[in-house]
Amino acid sequence: MTMTDTGVRWVPVPPRRRRPRTLAVGGAVLAALLIVHVIAWRTTEMSFATLLDGADGMADFLSEAIPPDLSADVLLPSLEGALVTLWIGLLGTTLSIPFALLLALAAARGTAPGPVVYQAARGLLSFLRAVPDVVFALIFVTAVGLGPFPGVLALVFHNVGVMGKLWAETIEDADPGPPTALRSAGAGRLQVAAHALLPSLTPQLTGLLLYRFDVNVRSSLVLGLVGAGGIGFLINQSIQLFRFDEMLTHILVVLVLIVAVDRLSALVRRHLGSAA
Amino acid sequence: MLQVTGARVRYGDREVLHGVDVEVAAGELLAVLGANGSGKSTLLRAAAGLAGSDGGENDGEVRVDGRERAPLDVALVFQRIHLVPRRTVLDNVCAGALGRLPLRSSLVAALFPRAVREEAMGCLERVGLADRAHDRAGALSGGQQQRVAVARALCQRARVLLADEPVSALDPAAAEQVLGLLAELAHTERLAVLAVLHQPGLAARYADRVVGLREGRVVLDGPAGTDVGSLYPADDRDLEAVS
Repeated sequence: MTMTDTGVRWVPVPPRRRRPRTLAVGGAVLAALLIVHVIAWRTTEMSFATLLDGADGMADFLSEAIPPDLSADVLLPSLEGALVTLWIGLLGTTLSIPFALLLALAAARGTAPGPVVYQAARGLLSFLRAVPDVVFALIFVTAVGLGPFPGVLALVFHNVGVMGKLWAETIEDADPGPPTALRSAGAGRLQVAAHALLPSLTPQLTGLLLYRFDVNVRSSLVLGLVGAGGIGFLINQSIQLFRFDEMLTHILVVLVLIVAVDRLSALVRRHLGSAA
Repeated sequence: MLQVTGARVRYGDREVLHGVDVEVAAGELLAVLGANGSGKSTLLRAAAGLAGSDGGENDGEVRVDGRERAPLDVALVFQRIHLVPRRTVLDNVCAGALGRLPLRSSLVAALFPRAVREEAMGCLERVGLADRAHDRAGALSGGQQQRVAVARALCQRARVLLADEPVSALDPAAAEQVLGLLAELAHTERLAVLAVLHQPGLAARYADRVVGLREGRVVLDGPAGTDVGSLYPADDRDLEAVS
């Protein structure tokens, strides 16, 4: 028998009984996961051989792309395009605030005026979320023509769906205390939202808004690829003209833009967190 | 001022209050005492008209000043205070007036009419915190926050004030101060104050009258200082003696 200096003796660990049912369920889940991955692998035509065959093409592509074309003729339009992308993301986020707020209040238990409105608002939010922003962009490009404007519209529509849902969940999770207090003082639904819920939740709601701004700037890049202006449009153009050195310049500019927006949003969110 | 008659509250099969009558006069602080589960908080919820809204069934009648209780007749003070910590003290007090303000002059704090702000300042002065009007409510101590909550209740202009364990979350000095304030408001402003309390000692010092509940019935009704030991199980009494 081994003992420590303090007189605690080593005790053998008793065997843990595993129920056979747990083992069976675990095995079945594992087998099911394996099967779906095999199906997915076959359906998407995954093939390392094809990748190796394409290596030459990749090498050609890279040799043309490097070094990037950093001449002013390319860089200046690129920076301009990046700014347009930023403005699309900014307006797409800001203009969706009032709609997202109204729908969030209608889609949160506790602030919803009734079950019918609640279900309708939830349904609308789900629909807006389910349609990807690229699809909205394609629709609006068809409707109002090429350019940044349809990009802004597309972001507003999709972002109302996502941000409205995130805000509704935040409102539902709020501390029910202050709203109860104001209701007992005779305040109506909108008054409770304006004086108890929204002021308490400002840091969380703003944090989600900044997160969505971050995502929307990245989305607006993709929207450019389908003709909604900005630097995505330039990337698409240089690929079609086989100017891969220009394309790499655009991508490097995008990298700087995305990192800058990400840092800014993280900084503000950290500040909000400490103020709350 | 406040008359609760035949309050009978059921949750499912369980009857929590078996027909309780309680009356609070204007200018009186009534302390309601009782062990955990005696129904004292349910009585307060019944008086506030909340006991019917949380899944319970509520019979009985609540009258204020001889009329049936209207929504704005009673103001509430909570154990967990329930201020909005990120808002200023003054905005929190103004929120007490929301029930009588139309939406166009109350949708955001900046729209509150000047008369409401000045009345709120008066309420803050009444609880001794006028100098903290522009501080964030969350920056105040627990006792100060509860006094702001009392000011918010005053701003509601109700003649009846119901306080649900208003000092249970406070340190002893702050508890004395808040109860002193409630007693003083009852006496000088002629409010009817009903406070559910956990500590018999505080009730003896500040209340004008105590009502004791046990198992959903009134078993004791007398002036402050009445021996309330019989309300609590024996082992709780030992704890009380130790602390």
